[in-house]
Amino acid sequence: MDIFGSMKISSSALAAQRSRLNVVSSNLANAETTRTPEGGPYRKRDVIFRSAPMGFDGVLEQAVQGVEVAEIRTNPSPPKLVHDPSHPDADAQGNVALPNINLLEEMVDLTSASRSYDANVTVIKSAKRMALKALEIGK
Amino acid sequence: MKEIAMFNSTVGLLKKVLDLRVKNQQVIASNIANADTPGYTPARLDFEKDLQRALGDPSPVRNGHPNHFPLGGGGVDKVEGRVIRSPDTSGIGDRNGVQVDQEMIALAENQIMYESATQMLGKKLGLLKYVIQNG
Repeated sequence: MDIFGSMKISSSALAAQRSRLNVVSSNLANAETTRTPEGGPYRKRDVIFRSAPMGFDGVLEQAVQGVEVAEIRTNPSPPKLVHDPSHPDADAQGNVALPNINLLEEMVDLTSASRSYDANVTVIKSAKRMALKALEIGK
Repeated sequence: MKEIAMFNSTVGLLKKVLDLRVKNQQVIASNIANADTPGYTPARLDFEKDLQRALGDPSPVRNGHPNHFPLGGGGVDKVEGRVIRSPDTSGIGDRNGVQVDQEMIALAENQIMYESATQMLGKKLGLLKYVIQNG
């Protein structure tokens, strides 16, 4: 693998971080959703990453790995119960089950995903610059 | 006829350096890509010492086995670098040992070293070109 191998690794990370951003925005958008196709309030989704071999050989076989989304898991924590008898989805006691989403957690996840995305873009830029410099040899 | 020394040592060494720097770039890219992967152990490609040893020691000892480490004297070609993995020892979090700031520094350093090798190679070839044209 050549210099494009490094770009392939970073692009796998860009894809993974982008799906994480998608999940965060889905969680944020549905922070108050009480009705879903599967019934009940929306449940928070979590993205699980795992490293993925990229087909390198030699000494780098184990050391160089890309990243992929292993699964998008539904967070098992219980929904938030809020007392609001006027809500159409309130139960007999007047409690409404709201999604198990913590806005602070989501914002931290959002920032972290965006920073990781930036870091990988920097790596791609650096690989590109190296490749262009190699083209200048002998000029 | 004696071989052209210019192609023999320095250019060969610089070629190897470019090769190893590209490998190092891939290792760093992998570490940064996996900065959020639970349980990932970052790797580091160590080759500077091996390269120095291969260069500095003109020992005539031949390595008789493919797995033996080259003992200098034309060993530059055989330097492949060694992968060193450093597991997370903090005991908190998801056992991911990547420190993104350190990796970014390694990335910048690697890029500068790569570019300086390309420049040196360019100058070396420029000298040769000069000799061909005006010598």
